[in-house]
Amino acid sequence: MDYKNIPSVCSYCGCGCGVLFQVMDGRLTGTLPLKTHPVNEGRLCIKGWNLHEHATSDRRLTSSMIKKDGQLQGASLDEAVKTTAERLKGIIDQYGPDSVGVLASAKVTNEENYLIQKITRAVIGTNNVDHCARL
Amino acid sequence: MQEKVKEWLEQGRVDIFLGYKMVEGHPLPHSFTKDNIDEVKDLVTSSARYSLEKIATKIAAQKPDIKIGLIARDCNERALNVLHIWKQLNSDNIETINVNCCPSRIKEHADCSYLEPEKPGAYKKTVGIENNADVEDIEKFSQEELFKRWMYELQKCIKCYGCRDICPVCFCKECTMDSPELVATGGDLPPEVPIFHLVRAVHMGGRCIDCGLCEDACPVDIPLRMLYRKVNGIVADVFDYKTGVSADQSPFNILGEKVTLQPKPI
Amino acid sequence: MFVIGSNTTACHPLVARRIIRAKEKGAKLIVADPRNIQLSLFADVSVNQRLGSDVALLNGMMHIIIKNGWHAEEFIAQRCEDFDEMKAVIEAYTPKKVEAITEVSTQDLEKMAELYATNSPAGLFYAMGITQHTTGVDNVKSCCNIAMLCGNMGVRSGGVNPLRGQNNVQGACDMGGLPNVFTAYQPVTDPAANEKFSKAWGKKLSDKAGLTITDMVAAMDDGKLKALFVIGENPRLSDPDLHHFDHALKKLELLVVQDIYMTETAREADIVLAGTTVAEKDGTFTNSERRCMKVNKAIEPVGESLSDWEILCKLSTAMGYEMSYNSPEEIFNEMTSLTPSYAGMTYERLGINGIPWPCPNTEHPGTPCLHKDRFTRGKGKFHAIEYLDPAEMPDDDYPFFLSTGRMFAHFHTGTMTRASQHLHDEQKTGYVQVCPEDAEKLSFKDGEIVKLSTRRGEIEVPVKISGMVKPGVLFLPFHFAENAANMLTNSAFDPIAKIPEFKVCAAKIEKAA
Repeated sequence: MDYKNIPSVCSYCGCGCGVLFQVMDGRLTGTLPLKTHPVNEGRLCIKGWNLHEHATSDRRLTSSMIKKDGQLQGASLDEAVKTTAERLKGIIDQYGPDSVGVLASAKVTNEENYLIQKITRAVIGTNNVDHCARL
Repeated sequence: MQEKVKEWLEQGRVDIFLGYKMVEGHPLPHSFTKDNIDEVKDLVTSSARYSLEKIATKIAAQKPDIKIGLIARDCNERALNVLHIWKQLNSDNIETINVNCCPSRIKEHADCSYLEPEKPGAYKKTVGIENNADVEDIEKFSQEELFKRWMYELQKCIKCYGCRDICPVCFCKECTMDSPELVATGGDLPPEVPIFHLVRAVHMGGRCIDCGLCEDACPVDIPLRMLYRKVNGIVADVFDYKTGVSADQSPFNILGEKVTLQPKPI
Repeated sequence: MFVIGSNTTACHPLVARRIIRAKEKGAKLIVADPRNIQLSLFADVSVNQRLGSDVALLNGMMHIIIKNGWHAEEFIAQRCEDFDEMKAVIEAYTPKKVEAITEVSTQDLEKMAELYATNSPAGLFYAMGITQHTTGVDNVKSCCNIAMLCGNMGVRSGGVNPLRGQNNVQGACDMGGLPNVFTAYQPVTDPAANEKFSKAWGKKLSDKAGLTITDMVAAMDDGKLKALFVIGENPRLSDPDLHHFDHALKKLELLVVQDIYMTETAREADIVLAGTTVAEKDGTFTNSERRCMKVNKAIEPVGESLSDWEILCKLSTAMGYEMSYNSPEEIFNEMTSLTPSYAGMTYERLGINGIPWPCPNTEHPGTPCLHKDRFTRGKGKFHAIEYLDPAEMPDDDYPFFLSTGRMFAHFHTGTMTRASQHLHDEQKTGYVQVCPEDAEKLSFKDGEIVKLSTRRGEIEVPVKISGMVKPGVLFLPFHFAENAANMLTNSAFDPIAKIPEFKVCAAKIEKAA
């Protein structure tokens, strides 16, 4: 039996509450408030207490998909990435980099957002990057 | 303590030991096993109280025969008694290392609201109920005044269910608080006042072991500990049943007749 | 404490905890919200201003403050500019005029002004109730005006505190997830900044500001934007006008969505990339108080999903720009080397507590309180702001005000919370709040399904009779795709911030056919 508590931060609102993810034999089984955390001091709201459920939900996408014959069909990640790259390059070649827009995310990490804007600016070659701060 | 835990794990007296480990300056609940025996040197007792027995219940639900050791203060011991009585943990499979119930009054050594009462704010004093008062302290108020003060406290509720979710002796798979027939779900805050909290309070009679974790987890400082203490006091008066004090007396035999967990046909 | 346009107990519960604790310790609480929110119960003065009238309300408070000489003259003289210009405009906002616009009585307005001005330091807290208006920028500036007027800036427990709606919306902005700036708001148009990033990334970068999300939708519709790559967002529910958005979406040649669920947007995609949740990766988030904190991988990615940073590296490499980071920590270190306000942070220093930026060097403890001795821009600038009506006001055809927002058990477009069993059990579907008086007039029963329409469209939705709303006002949570708020909301937006007016539009409500 392997039981672990992994300290993390709630990914719902902007409070940034400290949580512990309870992991049993590699499965996420619960969320606890981090008692000594400076933001939430051992308290959580209903969303925070149930944070693990959004990750373990059976609604999760478990594989990438590509639209074929008008239908999204399961594909390997590498194939989906390759197709994305080829099609993006095709559009950039034909219409120029400013014909591509990227929506970054207030849900992914700083590191990932950094990469998103880096790719938009250095790889695609446009400043068309925004996210939902306005929405 | 570290020596003892190491010995227990090596000799197989326990398969897993629940204690605390310092991680980046924070005491976090941690499971020590034979496979990571070197970690035992990092085992500490914690000022922050997590419900180790609730973690034990969770583990035992997956692995019924696993032998679990844990650090236990008085409140943990009471919880273990209740969990045994309600057949959530088999006490034969539980070993505890008892530690002092926060003997120091220095904050670093306790977040137990018993020992380190926070001074009630000026406004709360005039309209609410102090978090660390005794039942007798508030019974000086008239019924009308007391009701008004409780309503003030319960109106703060943001319906996080933290009081239930953190509770070491809340283990029901189906919880009355989730039952829309009794308490309306969704919609506005606060949840139905005072029904939401009274439903839980009723269920705490004969169950609550007065650890205070609910109150420590309450985002809006509702004096839950006192509410449940009052309910438990009634159970103690009527049935002479002191919750969690021993594993011998159980709510199933307090009326003298042994009843079982099997529902009786009506 | 002054809470305006924030239903804090439902949307930022752990900030509400601090507000309630401070109140219990003796702090005064002012709540201004078009609805009777939970915090209103505990307020020393609580008002329901008419939807979209915040500028008038704040100007009215300032009028009273100046008239009584409660303003912080020394602070204004030493640290601010353009006070006289603002004062000239404020002059006209007499309590009588303000009452006519906001429906807040003179008596309440005077009490609010006095409480805010005479209990220093006073913190002002707002959320989307202030920003999601065609006058969003005006509203924010008015909040800053009143805070500066009373010297409530740069002090602990004071300030203007926007409560950020998403866990990492602060971080996404800090990281340059915006069309006009690199990390830490270094303008793409600034030659020095542009050169710095061009050099670091080994590519000549564009110095022309890009399109905002609102502009992107217009460009899609015009056929100028051909491809859209969406990561961890669901614009089909969060965009103000679903019809318009869907129309524009059809013109795209390529839509790629990287997400953790099959969202309403992902369903329309040509390619869907399966990313991961917070539990499955390492990295950092930056919360509302600018505190950058570490998250740690708890479990392996579900199924064949992969951490978003790894997917992005693969994509970049596949496009011919090699990215071979071994860990988020390597990315973080590259980022901090280019980002002055994060320069002093390392994973080791962050620990569990995190560090609030600015943190310019590795000895710096971080900055919990901004604008302490001087404003970032030097002098605090007062803005003279006139009240403007929302883009759409009720009329004979659409006689109700409709506002949208969140409820306590759900979050944003509901993709995360509706996948969570406990949260789904708490609130299974959408509803529209109608006050008891209006419900009686329209003979609605609680739970009855009614037709709610605006000039953009109509939906069917169950009624929730609630004293939270005033007569003539309806409130619709926007978490529920089956009762999509953005079938109804107005896509008119603030000219500067490009934020849509989600909080106010005109609506009609009637029995379902």
